[in-house]
Amino acid sequence: MTEPALAERPAARPEAAIVVRDLSKKFGDFVAVDHLSFEVAPGRITGFLGPNGAGKTTTLRMLLGLIHPTGGSGLIGGIPYAQLSRPMETVGAALEATNFHPGRSGRDHLRVLAATHGIPDSRVDELLALVGIPAAARKRAGGYSMGMRQRLGLAAALLGDPHVLILDEPANGLDPEGIRWLRGFLRHLASEGKTILISSHLLSEVEQTVDDVVIIANGQLVRQGTIDELHGETTALIRTSNARGLIEALRAAGLEAGDEPAQGPGAVRVVTADLVRVGDIALAAGVPVHELRVLRTDLERLYFQLTESPENRNRNLADGSSADTPPPGALPHDLPPPDLPPPPADLPPGASRPDASEGSDR
Amino acid sequence: MSRLVRSELRKYFTTRMWWGMALAMFLVGALFAAFTGYFTLYGEMPVGEAMIRVRDAVPELTMVRMIYSGGIQFAYMLSLVIGVLSMGQEFRHKTISNTFLAGPRRHQVIFAKVAALIAILVVNAVAHIAGALVGGGVLLATAGESLFPDVAALGQTFALMALILIVWGLIGLGLGVLISNQVAALFVGIAFALIVEPIVAFALTFFEGWDVLAKFFPSQATTATLSLYSGMDPALGEAMGAGGDQLTWWAGALTLLAYAAIMTLIGLWLTRRRDIT
Repeated sequence: MTEPALAERPAARPEAAIVVRDLSKKFGDFVAVDHLSFEVAPGRITGFLGPNGAGKTTTLRMLLGLIHPTGGSGLIGGIPYAQLSRPMETVGAALEATNFHPGRSGRDHLRVLAATHGIPDSRVDELLALVGIPAAARKRAGGYSMGMRQRLGLAAALLGDPHVLILDEPANGLDPEGIRWLRGFLRHLASEGKTILISSHLLSEVEQTVDDVVIIANGQLVRQGTIDELHGETTALIRTSNARGLIEALRAAGLEAGDEPAQGPGAVRVVTADLVRVGDIALAAGVPVHELRVLRTDLERLYFQLTESPENRNRNLADGSSADTPPPGALPHDLPPPDLPPPPADLPPGASRPDASEGSDR
Repeated sequence: MSRLVRSELRKYFTTRMWWGMALAMFLVGALFAAFTGYFTLYGEMPVGEAMIRVRDAVPELTMVRMIYSGGIQFAYMLSLVIGVLSMGQEFRHKTISNTFLAGPRRHQVIFAKVAALIAILVVNAVAHIAGALVGGGVLLATAGESLFPDVAALGQTFALMALILIVWGLIGLGLGVLISNQVAALFVGIAFALIVEPIVAFALTFFEGWDVLAKFFPSQATTATLSLYSGMDPALGEAMGAGGDQLTWWAGALTLLAYAAIMTLIGLWLTRRRDIT
């Protein structure tokens, strides 16, 4: 999917909206977050990614002053959350979709929060309309579906019209329609210039939405950069009966090319996004072309490699406390390093993905 | 700060618990006042060898006061529940995250909870006293007794009843912070007031010099605050449950306030340190 909206947004400016510096948290002997540092650029959507139990929720909660760090700091606009004078007008946070008293209506839930900042009821109703649950919000929250809870959580985060949004797994438990709505909604918010930090254990969930990614595993930073950097160079794949001839022709035209056995027999990989030029070169060289397409990096696989490499493998798996991520093998040292043999490109969707429910992300 | 109080009040008055609790307070007041009224107006008690009519042995003001405050022991247990739930519900339903996101300076949130809780408990005290006036008043009127033999003294009694309900609510709040599982907190609070405290007080009577401590226990101090047995024959008082030597009403009230202050301070200290996961 092309993203014209993304290109129009400002590039990362030097002054970061959120700065996490050397942040650590131990729960007893368990190191949940381990000297984590990253920055979130203003006016962009940053995906905060990592498998279940990587420490995402703990990091966000430390950033929001709910958990006291063992070391390091998290600053929002240069200030610790607890020192913000009117926090809901600076940062909006939606942490869990279960944070509601079941006997209180969704509207009253928002009114309770609104009262803390003197926000009028008219703003509450405005937001309920914006997230699309104006009628249901007058019923008691105990009967809400997961999607309604997520929407109510988003409305709560937006009450003070903050310019920074921190959303913990906002897509969790949403059906495909809900996820589509969420994507559109986040793009709408980003177009207003808001800074959004959105956590997820599924890259595919946020891949089309985010500008930047911060990937963590076991409480440590694995990768930070723009989503385009993660994609790497754009390459094209050509299948032909004369791979050698085609490679020579492409190289003669000044392109970087080589065979790509992983894609099957006769596959050639060339570093360019210009398919027209590749086709013209093949025609000029008299080489038959059986297939010609842009070869996108499978981000999901890359993400999986990053977070499942031996040093980043989820330490929770050993004791089964994060059993919803399918363990690649009982004994990690029996396995070949996961990034050496590239798995088939047509990995069935969901085959390597953790379950959507994330109960043990601490 | 006043906004946080407003938020806390909204929190309480937007669930059905608020009118359920007020109704319970009213009914407890009415029923216990009626029972106590029936007992003191028509009952007899053995004092020494003889059976005497309670009505003849007790000064009029003491009797009326006893009737109107007949439900106080049950009512302050309800206050304790309100106090525990005002914190326990936040942990139970994880709304505490939102509460601290909106009010990251946690001591302010606790002070706001204390202020809101006092207002909430005043509402419940009014409901309870109204019930007591209805239930006790019907019995007194039908027995031909005056409803308000001493308006000023009874006014003081009602004010002290309200104070007792407020103080027990604040003790509950502290307990709710201390024990974040609301069911466990309720169990501990009620078990302490109804079981542990009387047993410990009884055990203390076996230790010379230590038994003076018993009158400072919360339930004993509560009884003392209301001067329930004043002007009554000591033997009759004991037969009706007066526990030996009692604090004066103001010492009782101060003792209760000290409990509330200590519990609130513990709550403040714990709340500031706690990780909200």
